[in-house]
Amino acid sequence: MNRFAIRCAAGLSVPFLLAACSSAPSSGDAAGAGSGSGEQQVTITVGDRPTSSDPANRAQYDQKVADFQKANPDIKLNPVETLWDPTTFQAQAAGGQLPDVLNVPFTEPQGLIARKQVADLTKVLKDDGLMTQLNPNVLKIGQDQSGNVYAVPTAAYSVGLVYNRDLFTKAGLDPNKPPATWDELRAYAKQITQKTGQAGYAQMTTSNTGGWMFTTQSYAFGGSIENEDGSKASFDDAPSRAALQALHDMKWVDKSMGQAVLYDIDGISKAFAAGKIGMYMSAPDAYRTLVTTNGLKASAFGIGPMPQQSGDHGTLSGGSVQIVSPNATDAEKAAAIKWIKFAYLNKYVNQDAAVTAAKNGVAAKQPVGVPGLPVVAADQYSTYQDWIKPYVNVPLENFAPYTKVAADQKIIPEPPVKAQEVYAALDPVVQTVLGSEKADISALLTKAAGTVNAKLGR
Amino acid sequence: MLFALPVLLVFLVFSWGPIVKGLVMSLQQTNLIDPVKWVGLENFRYVLSDPAVGQASLNTLWFTLLALLFGFPVPLLLAMFLSELRGRSWLYSTLAYLPVITPPVVAILLWRFFYDPSPGGMFNSILGSVGLGPFLWLDSPSSAMPSIVLEATWAGAGNAVIIYLAALTSVRTDLYEAAELDGAGVVRRVWHVMLPHLRSVLLLMLLLQIIGTMQLFTEPLLFTGGGPQGATTTILLLIYNYAFVNGDYGAATALSVLLALALAVVSAVFQLATRGWSTE
Repeated sequence: MNRFAIRCAAGLSVPFLLAACSSAPSSGDAAGAGSGSGEQQVTITVGDRPTSSDPANRAQYDQKVADFQKANPDIKLNPVETLWDPTTFQAQAAGGQLPDVLNVPFTEPQGLIARKQVADLTKVLKDDGLMTQLNPNVLKIGQDQSGNVYAVPTAAYSVGLVYNRDLFTKAGLDPNKPPATWDELRAYAKQITQKTGQAGYAQMTTSNTGGWMFTTQSYAFGGSIENEDGSKASFDDAPSRAALQALHDMKWVDKSMGQAVLYDIDGISKAFAAGKIGMYMSAPDAYRTLVTTNGLKASAFGIGPMPQQSGDHGTLSGGSVQIVSPNATDAEKAAAIKWIKFAYLNKYVNQDAAVTAAKNGVAAKQPVGVPGLPVVAADQYSTYQDWIKPYVNVPLENFAPYTKVAADQKIIPEPPVKAQEVYAALDPVVQTVLGSEKADISALLTKAAGTVNAKLGR
Repeated sequence: MLFALPVLLVFLVFSWGPIVKGLVMSLQQTNLIDPVKWVGLENFRYVLSDPAVGQASLNTLWFTLLALLFGFPVPLLLAMFLSELRGRSWLYSTLAYLPVITPPVVAILLWRFFYDPSPGGMFNSILGSVGLGPFLWLDSPSSAMPSIVLEATWAGAGNAVIIYLAALTSVRTDLYEAAELDGAGVVRRVWHVMLPHLRSVLLLMLLLQIIGTMQLFTEPLLFTGGGPQGATTTILLLIYNYAFVNGDYGAATALSVLLALALAVVSAVFQLATRGWSTE
């Protein structure tokens, strides 16, 4: 989900990561200064500079740019405010207006690779040694079928189940034991509604989030959305039907989903923070939106792994990657990788950078230490977590049910072809199931599959 | 002619240029990056076979009809009412105009809060106190569009009120006085004096409203995202989704061309049909 992923990227990275390397690691200085004198200077344009309406983050970003240039005198950075935006990206690409380095969500790399809109980074990543440091599972997001790498992941999450610990307690449920299966989830939701009068469970349904969350749910039931090469819809089958049936029964039999049908990310976050929802599917970084933006008590926030049904199937993943312009020369590509590493990944491998980032996060009153999927290898990630331990300002024990399982839970990428169009076609399916008691689930899925197949064939 | 040239050029480049470009794009397949492919009428065939287009057309017409039935008379009645008030009329017209200066996004977020479907929602608690509801408002396919019409009428009435008020000031006061002397009550004064004077303005406003309502976009996008079950997906929202969500500019421009054609036909028929009335 594009917008969500961007928010995740912002949530995970911008205030926090941008601060990451504002005091440059000293090792880079010597190397940069040494090699700088004789070589030709390279200039690259880097995107994602915060706007002037966000002075604190902009200052940190600018500081980092200055530090990078000091450490690498042979590279000149030209920072621009361009952000990935689904409504303008294609036009910017067509007009040659994209920066050399840009942050984009996980939904995009496969399409960009297919349309040849991104540079092949395999060689420079190998030369740099970065290739071996990254988490191979997450690296797949930016690889083509022969294993060439076109995008560098810098933040990742997997969807879990966010729940309100206070409502759990009020309903007589154990707030340290979120549901592990959808059957349990259904029973919990019913109990929450009966004991507290609030919606036990809610699900997003509009602006493509309906299809996106249905995809997540379908995966948890063992289903899929498209076949492997993305040429045909594959959701008109038993797991997807079971997933929708579960929703239908919670809404109409148990009456545990409240009255509202139309939720997007903003709407569901507000309603959840106001204590009107017991559980919903989201990623750990929802913490930031719920607690920092919408005023939920930190102690009421809980997250567990994605409940599974009839087996251990896995959950949907998302996050952001850095891409490099396809027009970049080899020297520019190398410079871009240096910058990506410096700006986004150093904190995972350099203790000073990690500590500075964490300190800055605390000073800016941002959540520090929100768990996510590691973009670097697992050992390295736990070392990083030890480094920042003294600065963590989120209740890690509330994330424990999620972190215990998420590290090993299988992650499944989003549908490979036209994910957003597929999600759009699935929105009304979920809305109908939640909006009309007599919805014919099989017919809805068959019709939606027809629509999706027409789009995939176009 | 020479002096008019710059204006003409600007007009050609910035006004007609995009229109022609749109027409051309409706015959191409392009994502603005790959080389352009000519596909003839393929885009038109595709959008006409998309079941969403049929539903969106019906939704759009449904909105237009509801807006004409409920949204059109409201500002007229308001304007007549305000013009009858003696003194402080500036205050009342300011109050009537206030919703117009509220930014649409803010107004819609506010109304979304009003329309909360739970029994504790703003409108539902008010109606609940007199034993009505709770209503689902935006969350039910049958009430979503009327709910949008209600908000749109509230938001847009002020503009029309101001125009009607201006038109009403042009009615000569001696006509009212004469009617009053003849013993005409308020209703007869409105019917025999006020309305005939407003006729041409009314017809123009009607045409503008039809064209305006057929381009409904912001409200469904922000209120419902086109849901529930596609009940508020309008043609313009669909064009937006084609272009900016799917990156299918060919389909988006093809549908835009079809909408423009439909509006041109509506306007022409309207003009022909009302030629007699407005110049009576």
